Formats: sequence, C-alpha cells, structure tokens
Amino acid sequence: MKFLIIAKKEFIDISRDRRTLFMMLAVPLLLMPVLIGTMLKITSSQAEKASEKQLKVAFIGKEYAPNLYQAFSDLDKLIILDQIPVDSVKSYIQSEYLDAAINISSDYQANIKSDSQAKIQIQYKGTDSFGAAKERINFVLDQYEKDIIEARMNRLKLKPSVVKAFNIQFDDMASKQEKFGKMAGGWLPYIFILFGFMGAMYPALDLGSGEKERGTLETILSSPASRLDVVLGKFIVIMSAAFLTAFIALAGILIGIQQISEIPPNLLELINDIFSLKIIALIMTLVFPVSAFFSAVLLGLSIYAKSFKEAQSIIAPLNIVIIFPAVIGTLPGIELNMITAMIPILNVSLASKDIIAGVMNPFYMTEVYLSLFGFAALSLFWCVRSFNKESTIFRN
Amino acid sequence: MINVKNLVKDFSLNKKQRKEMGDKYKDSKILRAVDDVNFECKPGRIFGLLGPNGAGKTTTLRMIATMLKPTSGEITVAGYDSIEEGQEVRGQIGFMTGQTALYDRLTPTEMVKYIADLHEMDNKDFNARKDYLFDLLDMKSFADRRIARLSTGMKQKTSIARTIIHNPQVMIFDEPTSGLDVMTSRAIVNLIRSCQQEGKTVIFSTHRMGEVNQLCDDIAIIYNGKLFYNNTLDQFKSEMTQPTFEEEFIYRVGEA
Repeated sequence: MKFLIIAKKEFIDISRDRRTLFMMLAVPLLLMPVLIGTMLKITSSQAEKASEKQLKVAFIGKEYAPNLYQAFSDLDKLIILDQIPVDSVKSYIQSEYLDAAINISSDYQANIKSDSQAKIQIQYKGTDSFGAAKERINFVLDQYEKDIIEARMNRLKLKPSVVKAFNIQFDDMASKQEKFGKMAGGWLPYIFILFGFMGAMYPALDLGSGEKERGTLETILSSPASRLDVVLGKFIVIMSAAFLTAFIALAGILIGIQQISEIPPNLLELINDIFSLKIIALIMTLVFPVSAFFSAVLLGLSIYAKSFKEAQSIIAPLNIVIIFPAVIGTLPGIELNMITAMIPILNVSLASKDIIAGVMNPFYMTEVYLSLFGFAALSLFWCVRSFNKESTIFRN
Repeated sequence: MINVKNLVKDFSLNKKQRKEMGDKYKDSKILRAVDDVNFECKPGRIFGLLGPNGAGKTTTLRMIATMLKPTSGEITVAGYDSIEEGQEVRGQIGFMTGQTALYDRLTPTEMVKYIADLHEMDNKDFNARKDYLFDLLDMKSFADRRIARLSTGMKQKTSIARTIIHNPQVMIFDEPTSGLDVMTSRAIVNLIRSCQQEGKTVIFSTHRMGEVNQLCDDIAIIYNGKLFYNNTLDQFKSEMTQPTFEEEFIYRVGEA
C-alpha cells in the first residue's frame, strides 16, 4: 500500500504548484466559455454590421430594364452609382470601392415579352463577409422574377402545378438531439480530450523528469517502496489530474454556455435537455481510461528524459498526435465501426458523438471500452517496465 | 554491516556511446563499471570509498542501495541479500548525496513524514524521533515553512533529518559534501561522525582527502572499476611515500 503514501504526497505537492492548478482548474473553466462567448459575439456583431452596411452597386443597362432599376433604387441601404465607367467596374469591385454590378443585356425587354429568359449578370466579390451583396441583390431579383412568372401564368391561364409537378415533403426522422449530436457532438470530445492531455502533461513532467532534476529520485528509489509502488503512486495522481481537467473543461463549456446571451433559447433548452447527468457520467466513463492511457504514456516518457527541458521537448509534439485523431472524429461521415472503435482517442471522439446524439451501438461501445482499457493497461505496463530499466532511470 | 563479494557491474553501450567514449570502447558493447570488487564495512566504523570521477564509486553505492542490480557477485546489507531482499535492505539504509534532494513545495515536517511513512514508522515513534532530530538540528523555527523558501543551510539540515528519520542501521553517503560550502559541509561531517558513534555502519565516497583523514577508519581506493587498495586508514598512513594524502592518492591512482 506504499503507492497510496506516494500518491498522497504527490497530491499535496502538485496541489501547491500554481502552474499545474492554473492548467487544471482556471484554463479549462474560464478559457472555453470566454472563447465561445467571444467567438459568438464577434460573429453576430459582424453579421449585424454586414446586414446594416450600405451597398454600393453599379447598374449597367438601366435603359433596358427601367422597372428593375426602380426596384433597386427603392431599396434601403443600397446606393446605385450611375457614373461608373463600364470598363472600370471589374477593378472597382476588386478594390472594394463597389460591392456589386448588375449587368442587363440589351435584349432584356424582348426576352421578357416573348416569355424567354432574360440574361442578368451579377459581378461581386465572393470574399465579401457573409455574402451580403449577393444575398441582397438576389432577394430583389427573386421577388421581381416571381412577379413576372405570375403575370406570365395568369396570361397563359396556367396553374402553378404546371411548372411544379412535385409537392415534396421532407420528414426528418432524426431527433433534434441526434442532429445536434452529429453536428456539434464531435467538437466537445475534441475539447475535453485536449484538456485531459494538457491536465496530465504538467504533473507528468514534474513527477517524472522533475524528480530526476531535483535529485529526489534516488531518495525514493532507496526507500522501501518498490518501483511498482512509485509508478502507481505517481500514475494515480497524474490520471486524476487528467480526469479532473477533462471534467472541468466539460463543465466549463456547459456552465459557460448558460452565460452566453447570443445562444437562442430553444438551442439552450435542447443543450440542457441533452446534457443530463447520465450523459455526462457516460462521457466521463470514456474519459477515465483515456486519462489513464495519457498518464501512463506521459509518465513513461517523462521518466525517460534526462531533464525537465528534455521531457518538455519530447512531450510537446505529442499534442499534434493527440489533436489529429480527435479532429478526424469531428469530420462528417466518420462513424464508429469495427476499425474506428479500436483506435484510441478517435474512438472517444466518435463514441462521445453517439452518446450525445443518443444513438449508441452496444457492440461498438463495448469494443471502444475494451480498446481504451486495453491501451491503458498496455501503456501502464510499459511505464512500469521503463521504471524498472536502469538505462531509463539513470539515463545520463 | 555491509559485505561486498566479487561485485561486477556491466553497462551495455549503444553505438553513440561507443563513439563518444573513444577508441578503447570502439568494438566493445559493454562497459565494465565495477570489476570484481570485494570489501566489508563494519558497524561503528566509517568506510571511505575513494576514487576519481568515473571510477565506479556511485555505481557501487547504488548497487548497495539496491538501485542498480549487480551483473554478478553478492552484497549483503545488515544481513539481507541485496538482490533477493531488496525491500528489507532499503528498510535498513539511509542514502544521501551531495544534492539536498528535497521537494520544494513540502515543509520539512511533511518531507520527513513522507520518508517515515515509506519506512512504515508508527506515529508515536515518528513524533519522538522527529522532535529529537528537529531539536538536535535546531529546525523547529522553520519546520512548517515551505522548503523552497529555506536557506541552503536549512535545506541541508532538512536533508539530514530525512536521511536519518527512520534511524537506519546503515548509512550510505555518495559524495555528500560535493559542491557545499565549508559551513554546510561541516554539518554533514558531524552527521557522519555521530552515525559512527551510534554504532551504525557508514560508507561514504569522497574526493576530499581532508575528510578522509578526519573521518575514516577504513579506506578503499577504486579506479577504472577495480579496487586496488583496501585497508585501515592507519595502515594507509604507515605505507605513505608521499608527503600529503592528496599526493599519495594521486600517486597510487597513477600507479594503478
């Protein structure tokens, strides 16, 4: 039971380390809500700005379509600039002096009168934020086109069903929870997997290579504690830190969301319905073995390093290795199957997505747990072996 | 009592290490750090293990403390076999190096309690021993202050207390005064002497010949992993051909 003595000491030790506490508590609790809130605020304020923006438009060929010209002239927040030379339109749009140009062909009236299609060319800049120019011009043209078609059909005494043969009704069987789960469910595990890893990183550095650097490793190795006790004691603390950080990150997001006024009330209600205690507990059962996996790998690498600095340079690139499968899990079309359920981290991401969507396949879920606990056990076994290797412990 | 018989320790060398170590190890996959070493440390006597850097002192001491496994040979510490009964051996020893080897975020009380817990001391014994040592070393004024905020002298005292909190029968000092100032070194020298007076078995490695003369009852000189001198200090003195300890040591190492 000496591992418990070691674990207790390590708990006291890291709980007094401001850097670890900051990474474990403050960052996950505050960063995510602040990040989400800021992003939503910026997006909505930019969208509002775009919709409020006064568009500057050139209308070329107004003599061919005076009524259409009038419809645009009557529009709020849109100015038609008549003095733009035709051959300068392109460069004006590129330099963003103009937002768009509407080009009416000379045969416009003839085509409209003969029930043909009149060609209208819209020039705009696709990088324009929120596509405001294209959207607003399209809206006017749509309305105008509807009037023309209606007039044509009345004249020809045709019913709307002549041009619209189907009355299609899409009936989506997916619940709101499923849709939300598939859409946003992938990002949530990405966040808590990353935080879980970060939460394990600092304690692992401190409890592994830090012990070498302080010279305290010999003190512990010459005590009656066995190497297994030493590894287990440290592992428990690192794993707890990883688990706690991931949990705090998840809680931080959920608490933070409640504080963000930009989220529509019906979406907020849906989020609150989905994230019941049961769902959170289920997600945490995935976080538990993945935290164990991270902790054993990080401790093993940390004890291999000669110094804190070397451990940092070995462990830092692993962030990319962790992010990669987590991001793959957020991509559409990537689902749990026999193979993906075996790949650690990716399987956590996909399984969490299914848990949030409420569509768990018991076979794949079992495979996910078996894979995660299997990898956790293997990594712990490797870590214990590293501790028992003289060339690792006294590597210098 | 420490008994070392035919002790051998080989380290395997990788390609990079072979290259770094020069022509001598070009074709060798093994470095013999300790080569057929024999000695005995008796209770109540101080045994000095002398040798230049890389001679094999630390490797020998780490094998006695069960941190490293011998390639061959036998070590018994206080009657326990270091290979078969590693945990029992570790229960009997106090190990100290030149580094203070303390946890900055703990207090001296927590530090010694941690080591005492690992040695399964009960609370009553711990409290009595802690009070005795903290009085002896004048540590009470900073007993509950974080180690990071202590002076070097205070840290050294804490290090001494954590080494002997469990009242070990065998003390192993690996260059304990290396890099320390005169005042702090003196505290260590006093500790070594008091351990001897309490009848403990003491082995220590050092570069400082003054300390050897001041403290040792028995000495052994190790060079290139081989022990080429092992006798009492008095005998060594009587055989000296050079005017000082230091010169005699250099002369003997040169001859080896």
